[in-house]
Amino acid sequence: MSLNVDSADVAFTFKGGMLPMTVMELSSADPEHIRRQLASKLSQSPAFFQHTPVVLSVEKLDEPHLSLERICAVCRDHKLLPVAVRGGSEPVRQSAWALGLGWFAPVDESRAQMLKSVSSEPVASSEGAAPSALGDESAENGESSALGATRVYRGTVRSGQQVSASSGDLVVIGAVNAGAEVLAAGSIHVYGALRGRALAGIHGNMQAGIYCRELTAELLSVAGNYKRLEDIDSQLLGAPAEVHFTKEQLEIKPLN
Amino acid sequence: MAKIIVVTSGKGGVGKTTSAAAISTGLALRGKKTVVIDFDVGLRNLDLIMGCERRVVYDLVNVIQGEAGLNQALIRDKRVENLFILPASQTRDKDALTQEGVAEVLDKLKQDFDFILCDSPAGIERGAQLAMYFADEAIVVTNPEVSSVRDSDRILGLLASKTRRAEESSDPIKEHLLVTRYNPERVTSGDMLTLDDIREILAINLLGLIPESEAVLRASNQGVPVTHDISSDAGQAYSDTVSRLLGEDMPLRFHEMQRKGLISRMFGGGRR
Repeated sequence: MSLNVDSADVAFTFKGGMLPMTVMELSSADPEHIRRQLASKLSQSPAFFQHTPVVLSVEKLDEPHLSLERICAVCRDHKLLPVAVRGGSEPVRQSAWALGLGWFAPVDESRAQMLKSVSSEPVASSEGAAPSALGDESAENGESSALGATRVYRGTVRSGQQVSASSGDLVVIGAVNAGAEVLAAGSIHVYGALRGRALAGIHGNMQAGIYCRELTAELLSVAGNYKRLEDIDSQLLGAPAEVHFTKEQLEIKPLN
Repeated sequence: MAKIIVVTSGKGGVGKTTSAAAISTGLALRGKKTVVIDFDVGLRNLDLIMGCERRVVYDLVNVIQGEAGLNQALIRDKRVENLFILPASQTRDKDALTQEGVAEVLDKLKQDFDFILCDSPAGIERGAQLAMYFADEAIVVTNPEVSSVRDSDRILGLLASKTRRAEESSDPIKEHLLVTRYNPERVTSGDMLTLDDIREILAINLLGLIPESEAVLRASNQGVPVTHDISSDAGQAYSDTVSRLLGEDMPLRFHEMQRKGLISRMFGGGRR
């Protein structure tokens, strides 16, 4: 893509990139309070805490002087790597720079609202990154599935199991049984019966879809818009189907 | 080298202990040196089904905690040679079992036996997880009803993730489906799931099908494993199951309704 004509002489090239990033939205400025919550989260999903880069969002805090240094130390103790701060007052910006962190302008109220509605659902379950704005143009709908790799799972997803593709599409070659859950940032394809729960577009991708060979799903969701088994037209059940988000609602069609 | 087989189900009351007793008896009847271990600490039943409840002195927990030797706790079956029972404790709870202790007991038994059957407690808690942890093969006991199938599905998920073979990423546990309490009449009338339904959802190999039978209840109350009742349908079905476990190819029986008489025979009715 980039034009490196005389590449031998080039030490680096600047490229625009959009990376998945977890935003840690602080609602408390007390480092001890944060430490307690991190400790309990760490025991629930240790896989998430692998020197994961995070952006500390302080937009919701009303404190002009918060001890950013101590908060960063608490994060590092729990294998979270603060790379930048978003929002806050001028002293906050200065201390972020002093700590070697980047600073992002706060997102405006409406965008904050949208991001909140998108990110509230998936964080607990998938170990991948939540959506974030690295700069103002990122985190547009539809971007996330283009970024990540497709995950292919072979075999039956059984009751109690959870299979997720945190950044791309999920392909299941087998059935998803009742009581099982499949999640994907992009679309979900099930080459078998879908009897469990399927949540596509967990980071807010409205273009994501769900496709299956036999629909008996307990729950279908695209970008947080869901239908329960009870809400699904019974004529569609037991047959191949595709699910999309159109005109403000979830549309289920036979797949032929 | 001994094979460790866990008999498990998730759901209670589906016939785990009955099956563990019947299959271990069947294996011993074919000359395989077999021990069956009751992992249901606190709710022990296996000794009753095996008819050796009056001869229990020491149990699995005693052995694990070093209060008795393994040979002191093993009970020799009176009817079949080569068959031993290691009972559970009735007074302790499942916290008395430790992974190291179970490993030690199994390692010792492996040197002497061909087959070690672990009769799992119901549920998916500690006792059930320890019963399955060291298994080479698993017999998943399922009744033809929705909740039992779902619980079996859950257990299959645990077998694929919470066992030593899964943690060491060695060859996965060999999973067998054993459908019990199958009643072809009630299946045909739609009261029960069909064998095909169960197999489609669980997607594992069918080891056997045991019809719902008076003989099972009788055997349990008398403390004689149903495998000894070779004239009964259930006894024969367990015998077939043991044959398949030993690698023989046996046709499936007892899964269709009996033809009732001349008329249904003339019209070919009654069969699906």
